[in-house]
Amino acid sequence: MSLLGNVLEHYVMLAGLIFAIGAVGFLIRRNVLVQLMCIELMLNAVNLALVGYNRVHVGDMTGHLFAFFVIAVAAAELAVGLAIVIAFYRLKSSVQSDEADALRH
Amino acid sequence: MQTLQVVFPPTDFTLLAVILGLPLIGAFINGVFGKRLGNQAVTLMALGAVGASFVASLLAFFILRGQQAESQSAVRLTWTAWEWLTLNTPNARVPLEIKFSLDALNATMSLVVTGVGFLIHLYSSKYMQEDPGYYRFFAYLNLFVFSMLVLILGDNLPVLFIGWEGVGLCSYLLIGFWFHEDANAAAGKKAFIANRVGDFGLLCAMGLLVYYSGALNWSGIEAGAAGLATQVQIWPLGREVPLAALVGQWINAPVYVDASTLVAMFLFLGCAGKSAQLPLYVWLPDAMAGPTPVSALIHAATMVTAGVYLMCRMSGVFVMAPKAMLIIAFIGAATALLAASIALVQNDIKKVLAYSTVSQLGYMFVGVGVGAFTAGFFHVLTHAFFKACLFLGAGSVIHAMHARIHDTEASQDMRNMGGMKAFMPITHVTFLISCIAIAGIPPLAGFWSKDEILYMAYTQSVSAPEAVRAVYPGLYQWPAWAGKALYVMGLLGALMTAFYMFRLYIRIFHGEFKGWTIVKGWVDPHAHAHGDDAHAAHDGHDDHGHGGDHDHHAFDPDEPREGPRPHESPWQMTTPLVVLAALAAVAGFLNAPLIGLHVLDDWLAPIFTLAKTGVTSVDPEHAMMLTLAIPSVLIAATGVGVAVYFYYLKGGEPAAAIAEKAPGVHRFLMGKWYVDELYEETVIGAIDSLAEFFNWADRWIIDGIVARLTAGIARLFGSVLRFTQTGRVQAYAAAMVVGTALVGYYLLTPRASAQLFEDDRAGSYRVEAAPGLGYSYRFSSQLTEDGEFQLEAGDAFHDRRTTSFNLERGQSRTVRVEVKDAFGHTSKWERRIERPKTDGRPPGSVDFNTMIQQGADGRPRLVLPPGHPEPTLPDPGADPQGGAQ
Repeated sequence: MSLLGNVLEHYVMLAGLIFAIGAVGFLIRRNVLVQLMCIELMLNAVNLALVGYNRVHVGDMTGHLFAFFVIAVAAAELAVGLAIVIAFYRLKSSVQSDEADALRH
Repeated sequence: MQTLQVVFPPTDFTLLAVILGLPLIGAFINGVFGKRLGNQAVTLMALGAVGASFVASLLAFFILRGQQAESQSAVRLTWTAWEWLTLNTPNARVPLEIKFSLDALNATMSLVVTGVGFLIHLYSSKYMQEDPGYYRFFAYLNLFVFSMLVLILGDNLPVLFIGWEGVGLCSYLLIGFWFHEDANAAAGKKAFIANRVGDFGLLCAMGLLVYYSGALNWSGIEAGAAGLATQVQIWPLGREVPLAALVGQWINAPVYVDASTLVAMFLFLGCAGKSAQLPLYVWLPDAMAGPTPVSALIHAATMVTAGVYLMCRMSGVFVMAPKAMLIIAFIGAATALLAASIALVQNDIKKVLAYSTVSQLGYMFVGVGVGAFTAGFFHVLTHAFFKACLFLGAGSVIHAMHARIHDTEASQDMRNMGGMKAFMPITHVTFLISCIAIAGIPPLAGFWSKDEILYMAYTQSVSAPEAVRAVYPGLYQWPAWAGKALYVMGLLGALMTAFYMFRLYIRIFHGEFKGWTIVKGWVDPHAHAHGDDAHAAHDGHDDHGHGGDHDHHAFDPDEPREGPRPHESPWQMTTPLVVLAALAAVAGFLNAPLIGLHVLDDWLAPIFTLAKTGVTSVDPEHAMMLTLAIPSVLIAATGVGVAVYFYYLKGGEPAAAIAEKAPGVHRFLMGKWYVDELYEETVIGAIDSLAEFFNWADRWIIDGIVARLTAGIARLFGSVLRFTQTGRVQAYAAAMVVGTALVGYYLLTPRASAQLFEDDRAGSYRVEAAPGLGYSYRFSSQLTEDGEFQLEAGDAFHDRRTTSFNLERGQSRTVRVEVKDAFGHTSKWERRIERPKTDGRPPGSVDFNTMIQQGADGRPRLVLPPGHPEPTLPDPGADPQGGAQ
């Protein structure tokens, strides 16, 4: 475990930090747009971890590959998510997630 | 012919596929595309399919005849479509194949089905012309021909059953063809349900045949028929009657019947349903709700004779059951009398013909019931011709009556007819020929077949084959009076038949036409189209009621009114009449032993060789044939004479006078013996009250207790769980986070587990720890109770997952497995292992299974494990649990 090992440790710690920020942000904020951004943060934290770990496996690009997959899926997810937000805004003139309670009543 | 035999070898006779396939294709195309194809294309398709099928049947018939003439024995040409499944019974392996075969019996029958079928298709192309369901009608009709062919060509009972159900379905669809009227739909339903009762019998018979004869195909059943000569316990159904103690043990007394009788009665129940015999005949008169060509094809010429066909097919089984055959013959005779007596007074011409059909079917069952299968089948043939002709003639008359009467009831009522001779000469002549044929006047067809049945009924009885009677002496023997009684009943039926047929004929075709004054206020909607082309103006079917808006016209009911005259039908309808009438006239010469003709007898003889051994005749030389024929002719002539006197010479006055004198009898016959009412009160009433009970149980027990209880439980849980559904995304996300954390904790905690491989006999034991991500292992053992655990191979955790050790008898030890995961957490698993003192066998015994090996000389050799004491023979008195080693 030389330089590379220490670097990996930094990457993983950073990824964990970003993930935690995203998760907490998602849990405490009510603005759907902010929540979507938090989801992006979590996904990017995972990307970072994947790419970081991939450095241990020299010659194997699976981690990178999966990072790209995550980016592509995240883009699709965000497109759908924003569409829902717009539709929601048209309905309620608001983007507060706790206003989306039509099914509860 | 040689070429044909090469193209169609006897064991792969693909011509059957052609015969069967064409009507099926016709039904498919007409049913699916018919609406878009238009009437012309539908006609072409339907007629082409059945016509080509007829040609193929003819070809197959001649190939078969050639081969049968060559081999001088029964020939069966078979074609196997595919193998369906195999039944494994305790007694036999019974293959169920979708297999078809052609022999003398069904080759003849298929000619009738496709031939008469084609004529009726041709007839329908005009009769149904104006009907909006034209394509549907022909799709059903083609499907019927296909199903009927499956029924008669099938090589085993299950395939026959498929056809049997198929024709039942088509019958239902066609009876209820004009389903907009409730009565028609109800008639279809009635036919279907009455047949279902019969089908139950057929299914039971199949099960019994599999069990007792070990086969379901024709040759197999015939070969295994001797297996039916045994007794079956039919009571009590289980081991004993439940609660027998309450009523006394006498109720448990076992009841036995012959297996053959049971099978024969179940088969006959099926036949009685399909062929309208007592007690299931009630559906056939109602089936006249369908279009008239349907009545001719399905409910007179072909489908209803399926029961007779099945009895001929199963002749080898039926002759084994003299008792059942006696019952069948008398049921046939009773049906013939009952139906004929009802036909005497009916006014609806189709009803008269329907009861006549039931009556004639009764004759056929008398024939097959006394073991005269050829005679019964002969009557199927001749009846197909003259009754189809009569029905089509009646249809032609109804078609003509529509010129003035647009009403189903009235246009079929003979009181509105009369004098039709002048308007429709061809229909008149063909109808007359068929009437003479059915009345039994020589030399037309009906005389020969009916006379043969009566002769056979008088002289012949079913006695089971000699070989069977020898090993099974308890078989029933017919009483001597049976034949005479059947003969007298048959004669009585013949008298009534001759009377009611000529009553029908005279009231339709002779006297004054009474239709001029019948319909009040009817106005010809195509007043400019008087005369010959008027028939194109009205609907082709007899369902069409004219609108009620004409009723406000005030007409004098007795004054003849202007309007189209009845007219002869177009050539598409008269051609079948002429052909069928010709056949009705000459078909009798197929089998006319009185003048030395017995073509049909010779042709079918190979089929009935086994059946022939099961019947005895008091007149083997046929000396009484002429003597018995004379009364039959006289009685037919009497019937005709009385009808002519009553209705032609006296205009119906004597009949009215008799009805006046005996109003009770007349009402009873008009009411059809009130059999429908009887069934309504008993069977239907019982089922209705059962349904009412279940309705109550459903409402109060199922809905009340079961449904409300479960609903209450669900509501209880729901009222609690509802509080978790906050509708806030954050709450759900928090639950997800908590859940993920818990799962993560579970996954990351090490859990030790191990699998134990024990060999008590050898005393060797192995422990294999379950693997896990990042795990390392450590094994230790506690050699004595309460002792210290001793580690194997130092303190260190290692990658090796197994450890093994040996134990002496009675020794024990506790094994501990410790695992450590990547984070340094540990977990442990312990198990106490004890080797039993003894392995349960006597000391010194040897496990031969593992110790016998093949020696160098090729012979088995006993190999003892190293250190094993020499085996000694165990002492029988020794305690097997006693001291080990």
